[in-house]
Amino acid sequence: MENTTLSKRTVAFGIALAIACVVNAVIVVIKEKSAAVMAGMKKLSGHHWTTHSIIVIVLFLGVGWALSRARGGRGIHMTARGLIGTVVSGVALAGLIIVGFYLFAD
Amino acid sequence: MNEIILMSHVLFGVGCMIAAVWLFVDVLQVSDGNLVRIRRVSWVTAVLMWIAFVIAGYWYVVSYKVDKAIILKGPWPFAHNIVMETKEHLVIILLLLVTYLPIAASDNLVGSKDARKLMLWVTGIIALLALAMDGEGGLIAMGVKVGLLPK
Repeated sequence: MENTTLSKRTVAFGIALAIACVVNAVIVVIKEKSAAVMAGMKKLSGHHWTTHSIIVIVLFLGVGWALSRARGGRGIHMTARGLIGTVVSGVALAGLIIVGFYLFAD
Repeated sequence: MNEIILMSHVLFGVGCMIAAVWLFVDVLQVSDGNLVRIRRVSWVTAVLMWIAFVIAGYWYVVSYKVDKAIILKGPWPFAHNIVMETKEHLVIILLLLVTYLPIAASDNLVGSKDARKLMLWVTGIIALLALAMDGEGGLIAMGVKVGLLPK
């Protein structure tokens, strides 16, 4: 019989991936619309894009780690369909926000 | 040296894309015989993209301003205003996906249809996104070229 569950780490980091993708897109909009935020991000590491990348990667790793330890270490339960939907939606939404922003709103 | 750094970024990025396609096909045929290879190539895919990202990040922060000025003064300012601006932020999504790849690959791919489906989606998105990044890079390079052509 086929095993239909995913490991808690796969689920946790999959959710973290979707969240980090959307946060990545939101940071784009915020920093491009706020000179103060842009300047602050530039000050932190010397370049706003470097700071941006570090924030998103750390967020992904941190949220993934936290979610993998949720529910007393049992992790988050999610079906494969739900996880794939979450990952694809997160990536697609982030992509739409980023491309849409630079095409129409910047 | 500048151009060598830039082209090496492309080389590693294309390597990542090829590895992702390789993985996609391998996962379709997953068995105990290729499982170790799938997991190793997942790590290779991630490492190739990380190297491409670090090289590109260095070049972008240190050297891109020269190309940017040429593009913005030329007939294709969109090559920076839209193409580079989207590329530098979409590539972070790609980085997250490849970092996730070895995690997804560590699951029970042989015994779990769900784990296989997830891998196929992730590798498929990585391949397509890497291809898009390659295309954007080409447009940006063209933006520099047309900016340097005599008027």
